[in-house]
Amino acid sequence: MARTEIDRADARFGWMMAAPALATLFFVILFPVLWALFTSVHDYTLINPHFDNYSGLANFRRAITDPEFRHSLGLTAFFVVAVVVLEFLLGFLVALMLNTVQRMKPVYYGILLCPLLMNPVVVGLIWRMFLHPSLGIVNYLLGVVGVAPVNWLGSTKVALWTIIMVDIWHQVSFMVVLLLAGLSALPREPYEAARVDGANALQSFWHITLPLMLPIIVVTLLIRLIFAVRTYDLIYIMTRGGPGVATDLVSYFIYRTAFVSLNIGEASAMAIVLMGIVLLLTAFLHRYMRSLT
Amino acid sequence: MIKHLMIGTFLAGAMASSAAAETVNILMEGVPDTEYVKTLLPEFKAKTGIDVNVEVVNYAEMHTKLVPQLVAPKGSYSAIVVDFYWVGEFTKAGWLSPLDERITADKIDTSVYVPKLMDLVGKVDGVTYMLPFYNYAMGLLYRKDLLDDAKNKADFKAANGFDLAPPKTWDEYLKQVAFFTKDGMHGVVNQGLRPDPIAMEWSNYLFANGDEYHDDSWKPTFNNEKGAAALDQYATNVNKYGPVGSASFSFDEAFNVMAQGKAYSYITYNFFRAAIDDPAKSSVVGKVEIMPVPGPNPETGASLNGAWGWAIPKSSPNPDAAWTFIKWVESHETAKKRALQGGSPTRSDIFDDPEVNAKYPYAQALKKMLLTSHNFPVFTYTPQLVEVLGRELSLAVAGEKKSADALATVETEFIELAKKDGKLK
Repeated sequence: MARTEIDRADARFGWMMAAPALATLFFVILFPVLWALFTSVHDYTLINPHFDNYSGLANFRRAITDPEFRHSLGLTAFFVVAVVVLEFLLGFLVALMLNTVQRMKPVYYGILLCPLLMNPVVVGLIWRMFLHPSLGIVNYLLGVVGVAPVNWLGSTKVALWTIIMVDIWHQVSFMVVLLLAGLSALPREPYEAARVDGANALQSFWHITLPLMLPIIVVTLLIRLIFAVRTYDLIYIMTRGGPGVATDLVSYFIYRTAFVSLNIGEASAMAIVLMGIVLLLTAFLHRYMRSLT
Repeated sequence: MIKHLMIGTFLAGAMASSAAAETVNILMEGVPDTEYVKTLLPEFKAKTGIDVNVEVVNYAEMHTKLVPQLVAPKGSYSAIVVDFYWVGEFTKAGWLSPLDERITADKIDTSVYVPKLMDLVGKVDGVTYMLPFYNYAMGLLYRKDLLDDAKNKADFKAANGFDLAPPKTWDEYLKQVAFFTKDGMHGVVNQGLRPDPIAMEWSNYLFANGDEYHDDSWKPTFNNEKGAAALDQYATNVNKYGPVGSASFSFDEAFNVMAQGKAYSYITYNFFRAAIDDPAKSSVVGKVEIMPVPGPNPETGASLNGAWGWAIPKSSPNPDAAWTFIKWVESHETAKKRALQGGSPTRSDIFDDPEVNAKYPYAQALKKMLLTSHNFPVFTYTPQLVEVLGRELSLAVAGEKKSADALATVETEFIELAKKDGKLK
């Protein structure tokens, strides 16, 4: 069908109305990404902040061959899987329980949301105090029941799990809130039908709740996964990547490359590599989600 | 009504512009010495009419806040304080204004500063960029009440064959650390968090074993038996004689252990000497003293030097007012007032001032500490060196790397950085 003058005017008006939003998007999202891409192919340091020396893929080569960077990527993968899986399991359990609660729901909500409302820096500081090996309350309480003091942040074997635990404490409510919203939006009819057919609670959960919740679960996991890859504050406050390199997550590693080594070029290359990995994961999960609906 | 509004706006505008012309903005770290400066600012205002706006932030945020202001053609800070870590980087990038002309014009005598501090946070390659503000050389905090205890004296002599007294050498100190680790007490508490707490503290161990980081030609000199011994001693102190978790302590947590009377000794920044006598923070008031970190022999000290300097960035919006402030804050009179509040001096004449010595009997120990102290390598890549050192030392303390291997890695990266900076040919 040929476009009429009115259609064209409509389209023009549409673009005009969308222009401010598009321009804002360009400046706050696309521009920094393009700038990082441009910087990553230059030998750009804060000591010599000029784009006069194009270095091709050298920054990427250096980043990928750097054993410390590869270590922090691997460690981040482990951390992300651990926090996302554990937070999901715990969050889903709590959401299922809360879904059946009739009274005092707002009170439970309020309590659950408290950690989520806190700044990660505050969370890190509070837990660093709680977990102080000799002066902290956690080891004191363990001592009361006869458990030897635990070296929460000073042992290479325990430190990463300590960070995972604190992250779960901080972020699990996020899972709960999202999953609970999904659960409360589920239709009642299938459950009633199942009950009439004699299905028990476990069967209802397995054959009705889980399949219906799958798209929401995938979205929740996806958002949490992206946030978990960016974990930086807890590491900065609690361990600075130590002891040794036991908690050297990739975001903190990139931060150091940029602001301690002042090597913005190489840090940008690392950030692009990380963004590529997250994009691939997101695309994969997104496709999976579409295949469900 | 409109007339009133216009007059009001005009007056407010005039006041704002006059205030803006007469305000010195400074970014400073939240440490005791900053507080002492702040208490004296009304005197400066009364004298010169210039307002001083001190923005106080945590150390970790300083560098990230400073750099964008220094890169800009016109920044928002009139004057800045520079940690010795950043001296190489800031001067190499050309962010600081040379002060020599101003010093000559105003006949400022820089020979009153302890020479080691002028080397660290004063002159770079013969050009004066900074005036030393306060020093944070590291010293040995120790429990003098435990040393004076008769039973301890007898037991120590029986076990070691020499008297229990403030340690004259590093070996004596290590024996005391082992001796005092008993009955819930720890011989030492360490600040093992990476990167700077551990890197700075371990430097004292390196000097105490008779090593330095590099020779005059910047060839590294720490990857040897003495260096490895220093790292082994550090790991032993953390893992065997220190409290659980000191491998991840920053200085505040380590200080708390010392202040709660749970450790015999702590090698740390000298400004904690005043804090340990503060009843609000400490349960060992009057029981702790400070001394230079003992070296391989009684004549040699092993303290690590550290300091901040005042500088005027090239991006300063009002360098003249900034210089007026620096002249005032570093004058004998103001420096003495800061020292009398507990500040860490950088001028010899303040260390020797009778009033300062009467109020702080340990002032001479602090001066001796500075005079026998050692400097950390100051070059463009000091922060990276601290980062590498922190990582490798932490790995060795965690038992994931042998001391010699950790130092070999540090040496390789040190050579790379020194070559990149043109220090090492």
